Amino acid sequence: MSLERKDEHDHEGWMETKDLSPIEEVYLTTLIWLDKRLRIVDYLELLEDMYYKTNLQMPKSHTEQYNLDNKFWYWYPLYALGSFSTIAYVVASITGALLGFYYAPSTAAPSADAATSVAYSNVLFIMGDLNFGTFLRSLHRWSAQVMTAAVFLHMLRVYFTGAYKEPRELNWIIGIVLISLTMVFGYTGYLLPWSQLSYWAGQIGVEMALSIPLIGDWVAQLIFGGFTLGEATLQRMYILHVFLLPFVVTLVIAIHIGIVWMQGIAEPH
Amino acid sequence: MSNDEPKTDGGEPKTDGGGIVPQDDQAPTWSERKERTQGLARLTYEYFERSRREDEDLRRASDYVERDVLAFPTWPHEMIRNLAITSFFLGAMFFIAAAIPPHIPGPADPNSTPAVILPDWYLYWSFGLLKLTPINPELSLLGGQKLMSDRTYGVLANLVVVGVIAIVPFLNKGSARRPVEEPFWAAVGVGGVVFAFTIAVLAVQNLITDLLPMTSGELFILTFMLPFAFAFVAYSVLKTMREGYMFELNRRYYRLRPPK
Repeated sequence: MSLERKDEHDHEGWMETKDLSPIEEVYLTTLIWLDKRLRIVDYLELLEDMYYKTNLQMPKSHTEQYNLDNKFWYWYPLYALGSFSTIAYVVASITGALLGFYYAPSTAAPSADAATSVAYSNVLFIMGDLNFGTFLRSLHRWSAQVMTAAVFLHMLRVYFTGAYKEPRELNWIIGIVLISLTMVFGYTGYLLPWSQLSYWAGQIGVEMALSIPLIGDWVAQLIFGGFTLGEATLQRMYILHVFLLPFVVTLVIAIHIGIVWMQGIAEPH
Repeated sequence: MSNDEPKTDGGEPKTDGGGIVPQDDQAPTWSERKERTQGLARLTYEYFERSRREDEDLRRASDYVERDVLAFPTWPHEMIRNLAITSFFLGAMFFIAAAIPPHIPGPADPNSTPAVILPDWYLYWSFGLLKLTPINPELSLLGGQKLMSDRTYGVLANLVVVGVIAIVPFLNKGSARRPVEEPFWAAVGVGGVVFAFTIAVLAVQNLITDLLPMTSGELFILTFMLPFAFAFVAYSVLKTMREGYMFELNRRYYRLRPPK
């Protein structure tokens, strides 16, 4: 018998007061050991919560509870736009990774007498010779278009239902960052095939960068790798499109959705 | 939330999604289900109860405050409905991708400028803002010189548009959510959407002036007048609808959520 004051949360003491079988004792000791180090109770609670929520009838949502659902359900597809743009982003990532196997960002001529570039002929190869290549590129392009459209409509939905209000201002601003990044994503991808449209869209980009006051030259150098378009431009667009933006955008999307998850869905009333 | 509302979890006030009631009285609560279990599951439950109490004691001792959020939970309602609807649209997207493959223009040629230079459609608005030359002010102080070049003006216009959208939550406060409750802000939104389209049309003004009997000056004026016209119409309609609509809303909504 120790003179030490008993801890109120002395779990081992609590175990001794119970008449446990060896299996139970080992189990509980392990559980407590792990929980002390990793606080698994928090995560198991999440899982348990999800288990009960999926196995019970769904609790009534606010709209159902106050009989607003008749006004609400036909607007529901507009509430799925955020999800839809995320899914489109996932599809674009997967198809993009596959397209990356067959593409090299080079403006060099593929052969001595060719007037095109390696990048452009790679795109022709994907579209013409690669099995399912046309579908792959088509899906990549369509998912990018759909994502941009869905993000824009998502923003309109949030605006017109006042969902950007009080606890959600920060998420509105993160959303603006995201829609901008989505457009930059689209723009950098638009330049990659190094077609006539890509080239001249790039030209406009360089001119826009150069006309920023004070830091214009520096921005043009940083993003386009010079004041005229060439190998450096294409390579920078490639790195932005396949390396930098995917990490940044995925992280920001995770934060955006995490905040929605924490704050819950703002309903119209 | 008032105290006489039904509770799902044994009368303990829940901070997640408070006020949600079970479908009927027969459905056992989660804690009831857990209490009925035996063996290891029961032990886990008992330990978790202790652990939670420990957490609660610690929390009470600190100045940590949990807030009630006015919303409904993302899981499961939102995610399940989203998945159902999203999978339909995802299927549609695959179908379109298979049916309409993208067009490939000719290879890049720095020596020949095409007649029409355009970015992808979602950047038309930004491209249109570069064509604001007629409203770049000329300052008499500088002897009729423009303060900045037209292109710089266009790039700054992009920043202004994004900046204005970003500060909306700090200008429009309060608990109103529906457009009828705030006709002014709804009208601002409608004007903004219409402007996004008209400025995009301005970006392709060469094509428009070829197609329609319209000079580029007229197109420019329309670009700025149409949003105001639409905003005005939206404002009038919503203001007219407001009385009848607000009666219904006030009855069931402001009782629950008093305006600040």
